[in-house]
Amino acid sequence: MDGEPLVRWYWIGDHLGYLWGLLADHAVISLVPVLIGLLLALPLGLLCTRFPRLYQPLAATFNVVYALPSLAVFVVLIPYTGLATQATVMIPLTCYALAVLLPTTVDGLRAVPDPVRQAATAMGYGPWRRLTAVELPSAVPYVVAGLRVAAVSSISLASVGALIGRGGLGYLFIDGFQRTFPTPIVAGIVLVALLALVTDGVLLLARRVLAPWAGRETAVRR
Amino acid sequence: MIRFDGAGKRHPDGTIAVEGLDLTVPAGRTTVLVGPSGCGKTTILRMVNRMVEPTSGRVLLDGTDVTELEAAKLRRGIGYVIQQAGLFPHRKVIDNIATVPHLLGWDRKKARARAHEMLELVGLAPETAKRYPFQLSGGQQQRVGVARALAADPPLLLMDEPFSAVDPVVRAGLQEELLRLQSELNKTVLFVTHDIEEAVRLGDQIVVLREHGRIGQVADPATLLAAPADEQVAAFLGRDRGLRGLGLRPAGSIALTPLDEPFAGWRLELDEAGRATGWTGHGEHRPAAAFDPGADTLRTALDATVLSPVGAAVAVDGDGRAVGIAARAAVLDALDALHALPPRDEAGHGR
Ligand SMILES: Nc1ncnc2c1ncn2[C@@H]1O[C@H](COP(=O)(O)OP(=O)(O)OP(=O)(O)O)[C@@H](O)[C@H]1O
Ligand SMILES: [Mg+2]
Repeated sequence: MDGEPLVRWYWIGDHLGYLWGLLADHAVISLVPVLIGLLLALPLGLLCTRFPRLYQPLAATFNVVYALPSLAVFVVLIPYTGLATQATVMIPLTCYALAVLLPTTVDGLRAVPDPVRQAATAMGYGPWRRLTAVELPSAVPYVVAGLRVAAVSSISLASVGALIGRGGLGYLFIDGFQRTFPTPIVAGIVLVALLALVTDGVLLLARRVLAPWAGRETAVRR
Repeated sequence: MIRFDGAGKRHPDGTIAVEGLDLTVPAGRTTVLVGPSGCGKTTILRMVNRMVEPTSGRVLLDGTDVTELEAAKLRRGIGYVIQQAGLFPHRKVIDNIATVPHLLGWDRKKARARAHEMLELVGLAPETAKRYPFQLSGGQQQRVGVARALAADPPLLLMDEPFSAVDPVVRAGLQEELLRLQSELNKTVLFVTHDIEEAVRLGDQIVVLREHGRIGQVADPATLLAAPADEQVAAFLGRDRGLRGLGLRPAGSIALTPLDEPFAGWRLELDEAGRATGWTGHGEHRPAAAFDPGADTLRTALDATVLSPVGAAVAVDGDGRAVGIAARAAVLDALDALHALPPRDEAGHGR
């Protein structure tokens, strides 16, 4: 990229609307799967805690999906969900989110100290009611920790979707590379980082609101 | 009233936790289970609220086999306190206390009002209500645990080593508090501890257990200390049990001599308020040691006569005014009376 400066500000100025559109698209295709993953992980996690035998096979399944290269999964899905559709990108991302969130949810549900669980039983909570009223709220710090990992990796993985035509900010990387024009690449990197930072901040705030009792010292694994 | 009727628990792995237990826990009193680690105390406690199901025999609660009652419903009617308090970390103190009222479907306002009452009952400041458990000391957490167990006013309280995780000073305070509560509330309390001192302090009835929940002795504390059933129970009670037993006997039975009567050449000096300022005699002045026959025990009285340099202690009333003199011999007479011996010759004052 001889002589080409890293950033040509006029290009950014000219493409503000375009960049905004990509950013919004990126946020949707990366974060909606995390949300769906969460909505699936909570009931699945409760089921796995109530019936522990379910956990290993389920966790193994999602781990295998997690191990598959994202691009390969996109390509496999194209015949069913179509090229450049949101679904093609979001289905695998949902699976990745679930692969992170299921274990953190189950960890969180299991992390309730034994005396607390026994006290709950002794007070007259039935098994399901105890799970939702005692174990689930106690799992919040774990779930939020899982969400932070899942959200950031989803934001990063979503860029790959650009290779099949639906990658939000990822498109800027392909565009810049093909034209040996670094400005969109830099803009893409900055916007991806910004999106990740804001998302993380929102999650930290959510934790403080949802689990004020967790204090700062609560150790969260993973 | 709880009755264990040949109750036993054998775990699936073959471990026998409790075998053939026959025991009656009287209503309105405190029964303490005491015994070495692993002897089945927790198991016995949990057979009552069905956290452990007996594999043989029955546990009857007011005549009904507990296994015939729905577990969750049964448990809402039984208070339960454990060693680590087990407070719900995500709930404020007030909501922790309101747990059972909430489960019983009380309306929110009534449950909260009740929880505030409980907070006061266990001696916690009102502002504690809004704290989370992690913001409390161990002793405060235990108090909240007790308040939570009492919130729905259950007639029965199960307590599994509730005070053993706090330091001795806090523990003594909590024991005091429980005695006070119990004198107001008269619950049926089944209390587990491995600390014989605690058992003696709190129990109306003490059950000394051996391996597999076998009963070594069931007795009130004074009888237990005075007359252990066998060597093993005696060994478990530890040293000085005679003296410790005196700590359970009221000092009111000690015969007093009048204040103006000199004792072995010593005369008791009083100030204007009637408080003893010391002994004078033999050209000397010596300090006085006192006890309150209305509130203190024989142990305290004996201690006062041992401490006193003249061999007699001053009996005082609740306000510290001297009411009589207790000679060492008179205290020993009171001890003899415990064993129903005839009074000593030299102490002729009427009892
Ligand atoms: N789930 C279980 N499976 C097998 N054995 C058990 C189980 N629970 C308890 N036991 C055994 O039953 C016996 C009685 O246990 P329990 O907890 O009632 O004793 P404890 O008197 O409360 O002891 P500690 O003073 O240490 O609390 C012990 O030998 C214990 O190892
Ligand atoms: Mg125990």
